[in-house]
Amino acid sequence: MHELSIVKDIFSTLEEHYEAKVEDIQKIQVTAGLLSNVQPVLIQNAFDAFIADNLIYRDMELEVVVNDIIAHCHSCDKDFKVEYHRFVCECGTPSTDIVQGNELYISKVIFKQSL
Amino acid sequence: MASNPKSLGNRVGSLQCDNTTLHLLKANDFVANAIRERLKNVCVINVCSSPGSGKTTLMQETGKRLGKDLKISVLVGDPETDRDAVRMKEVGLNALQIVTGGMCHIEAQMILQALDHIDLEDTDLLFIENVGNLLCPSAFDLGEDYRVTLLATTEGDDKPKKYPRMFLTSELMLVSKADLLPYVPFTVENVTKDAREVNPNIEVLTISTTNGEGIDQWCEWLKERVKAKKANEAE
Repeated sequence: MHELSIVKDIFSTLEEHYEAKVEDIQKIQVTAGLLSNVQPVLIQNAFDAFIADNLIYRDMELEVVVNDIIAHCHSCDKDFKVEYHRFVCECGTPSTDIVQGNELYISKVIFKQSL
Repeated sequence: MASNPKSLGNRVGSLQCDNTTLHLLKANDFVANAIRERLKNVCVINVCSSPGSGKTTLMQETGKRLGKDLKISVLVGDPETDRDAVRMKEVGLNALQIVTGGMCHIEAQMILQALDHIDLEDTDLLFIENVGNLLCPSAFDLGEDYRVTLLATTEGDDKPKKYPRMFLTSELMLVSKADLLPYVPFTVENVTKDAREVNPNIEVLTISTTNGEGIDQWCEWLKERVKAKKANEAE
């Protein structure tokens, strides 16, 4: 879904945060929760298409890390992993208190080695 | 090169790494909150579904039934045409088309711009009819009070598990085209079970604009929400 808007947002976020240093970035890591509807392959393709058209970013690499969905069970007071989109704890209590899985952020930025 | 004073702090071959948390698509949430601030007296409903599940027809029917009691405006998203707004104006609804230009969802910025073109003082209930799509719209907060998702009986009762984020973020699921239930392999029981496994708090209402089933309950649901919003603001 709208992978190109996400890619554009990656670059505007990097430019805002790192300003001129953005040109020295070698690699970035994006963390996406399973609920963010981001497909790693599609975002990689959109990223490659974007940098092909933007000379200063041509050598930048992208890594996408996908996070599992984790919800909190208030009955057991512990977190559980949501599998097959069943938001129900093993004790049988349903929960939509999402601890992890909605997120979408740049988690790591690696700069070219300075000489 | 290793003796270059400029690189003293940086061992050659080492990489400078910044572990960070730079959230993406945050601009949308910022705008959505601005909309929420501005619409303190208007109940806003974001209506989502696949294409062809009956959003526009439901808006028309709602306008006919509630048009006398409530002042209703509709912002309707469509990738290319203004057909839906025309249909709604036909039944006297105050409708404004948002042509997304091929985009698969409405973003908060589009709503914010559209607000300048509707008389907010003269609106109790604002519907945002989203682009027909169960994926992308789920990720975009539009400043709504409630998200309502339609699922037509012709679409199959397995959809809540296939598009979990949409049903996870909805307060109400409307099972539409209920008059077709005898002819399709779809049961309200199955779809409710699946939807509640994704979101145990989701309300489920079965409706048909053809035979009128559930439309009274839907109108009541809306009236209660509008009343609650106004009472909340008056406090």
